[in-house]
Amino acid sequence: MRKAAYPVEIFEPASGPDLGLFDDPTRYSRQIRFGPIGTAGQNQLRSASVLVVGTGALGASLAQHMTRAGVGTVRLADRDFVEPSNLQRQMLFDEDDARDAMPKAIAAARKLRRINGGVRIEAHVVDVGVRTVGALIDGVDLVLDGTDNAAARLVLSDACFRAGIPLLYGGVTASEGMSAALIPGRTACLRCLIGGDEASDEAADTCDTAGVISPAVEFVASLQAAEALKWLCGSREAMRRTWVSADVWTFRVRESKLPAGRSACRYCGARQEAQGAASAAQEDGGAMFTAAVLCGRDSVQVSSAVPFAMEQLRTDLERLGCTLTVNPYLMRAMLPEGGQSLVLFADGRVMVQGTSDPAEAVELCRRYIGGTDEKLPQDGAVLTT
Amino acid sequence: MAEHNNKFDFQLYVITGANYHPGRPLADVIEQTLIGGADVIQLRDKFSSEQEILEQARVLRELTRRYGVPLIINDYIDIAIMVDADGVHLGQEDLNLAVARRRLGPDRIIGISTHSLEQALAAQAGGADYIGVGPVYPTGTKPGRTAVTTSYVREAADHVKIPFVAIGGITLDNIDTVLEAGATRVCAVSAVVGADDPAAACRAFKARIAAHNGAAAKEKAKAEAEAEAGAAVTAHDLLEAQPAESDLAYLGVKINGKEQWTTAGTIEELIWQHSLEGRRLVVELDGEIVERDAWGRTSLREGSEVELVHFVGGG
Repeated sequence: MRKAAYPVEIFEPASGPDLGLFDDPTRYSRQIRFGPIGTAGQNQLRSASVLVVGTGALGASLAQHMTRAGVGTVRLADRDFVEPSNLQRQMLFDEDDARDAMPKAIAAARKLRRINGGVRIEAHVVDVGVRTVGALIDGVDLVLDGTDNAAARLVLSDACFRAGIPLLYGGVTASEGMSAALIPGRTACLRCLIGGDEASDEAADTCDTAGVISPAVEFVASLQAAEALKWLCGSREAMRRTWVSADVWTFRVRESKLPAGRSACRYCGARQEAQGAASAAQEDGGAMFTAAVLCGRDSVQVSSAVPFAMEQLRTDLERLGCTLTVNPYLMRAMLPEGGQSLVLFADGRVMVQGTSDPAEAVELCRRYIGGTDEKLPQDGAVLTT
Repeated sequence: MAEHNNKFDFQLYVITGANYHPGRPLADVIEQTLIGGADVIQLRDKFSSEQEILEQARVLRELTRRYGVPLIINDYIDIAIMVDADGVHLGQEDLNLAVARRRLGPDRIIGISTHSLEQALAAQAGGADYIGVGPVYPTGTKPGRTAVTTSYVREAADHVKIPFVAIGGITLDNIDTVLEAGATRVCAVSAVVGADDPAAACRAFKARIAAHNGAAAKEKAKAEAEAEAGAAVTAHDLLEAQPAESDLAYLGVKINGKEQWTTAGTIEELIWQHSLEGRRLVVELDGEIVERDAWGRTSLREGSEVELVHFVGGG
């Protein structure tokens, strides 16, 4: 990994006298006794790396499966922080994390550290998008999808298919879930299956509008984790070639065959990787900042091109009458009027809570942290995730 | 499909027609029909300005609310939204159903005028809450339109699953023929709003409909009891029973586990008919996912099984 412009916390695996339980010969015995994994499979898991994108409900569960199974490196990426509404289903977080508004990637990594000290765990507090995805997938064997929107998944699919890395998609809403292993060279990519920008999720249910129950989350995470173990321990012929959709409440499970890659597609078609990479870089060269409406959450994420000087902002915001919650990764400022909050990340992102109007969000950023216009240029594009 | 489908039902549907009661205010005449038992009021006015129609809509909204009767606005979706009407009624030429549904949301009523079974089934598949079937007889409100006669009423009764209302030139003189053809809901314009006593006219219409529906319900119960003893009609029998003389390409397909008729030839058309265009979907045809790009060229066949599933995006 190159030096990142966002907070990263890395837990190296224990070594020498710290090995402790990690070295216990029985640690993975039940998994090794399972024929398809065996000693050889366990060794492969130990030398493998995975990226878990999003460490919310699905992501926390996926990360836990990978860490407990003894995957060598577990890299976590998440843009969000822990809130009380997460605790009902996001298995790695506790009340302290919500009280301190801890970034999810950090809180998850610390918990995982205590679960398995023999695994290298990386926590990246970052919004996974076209700018950041390349460095994150660099060097991993597999990407596990724990994101919460189609736009982010399309970014992952494009990047994974370009780099030849399998993407294990999973999604949940209410009591329903879906999962599929999307494998370059074997299956079509996500963009071919569900369409790109011509479709929209605006009218679709999300966890924030339709709710979600944790059994649905765990069901889907289990489907993803099983495929991950197969891929990582070398049982690749055993990979499921279907798209599963299920409802754990009405109880219904349906499997649909996945088609192969589409030759005309620049991602899953034959050998078009290099070209794809060039075009994506061009797409990336657009607006200097974007305001992204976070569906159903009454929040807008405003991204500035310039990182924030957090200490200076802390003084400014206090002077403006904001009530602050500060931890080493972010600062939450309750505004003195209007009931909105700004959650500032040092990498230049602001989550504006209490509005779903991008223009209002940008205006609040200008008023409280704008100061100079170079922090938040006028010509922002608006996109909906 | 909208939840009120089960709740929205009626017997006598009254449409405004100010030219049939010159000198009498619209609100007075419509109030008389409400007193007489009209179950739905539709504001239709092809001549006034949009502003005038908005004014009328406001008056009728207040009036119908007092009587607890749904108000439907003909053609003007904006006006329906502005006055918080219960729904709209659209012709075949008007804005398409999918667009209207998007604007009105899932809960408002959308009715569609149809003049053939093909149009009826398309409206049904497209998510209409009810359809108009007509004109059954030649009518002054739709000059120049050929009457479809009661044979279309019979076809609709046999094949249409959503509520349908027979419309066009129906009077107390010919209503029995319409009811015998299978209509259980009737729409009247001139015979009610043009009557000297609209309340009495409504009562007379409702009495005839109720008498006929009562007799029909008894017969149906008897037939069902007999059928239960005999063999159940299978889905396949229903597919076989499609009208032989039809030159329309109806296909019997299974969509999300339910047998349906469709005139859609491709996956793309099917999605359009279900007002799902622009939504993020996963589409499966006979066990395999169909890529987004292939929807337009993937044909449906008789007996195709299609799953249309919203992409699940939470995490």
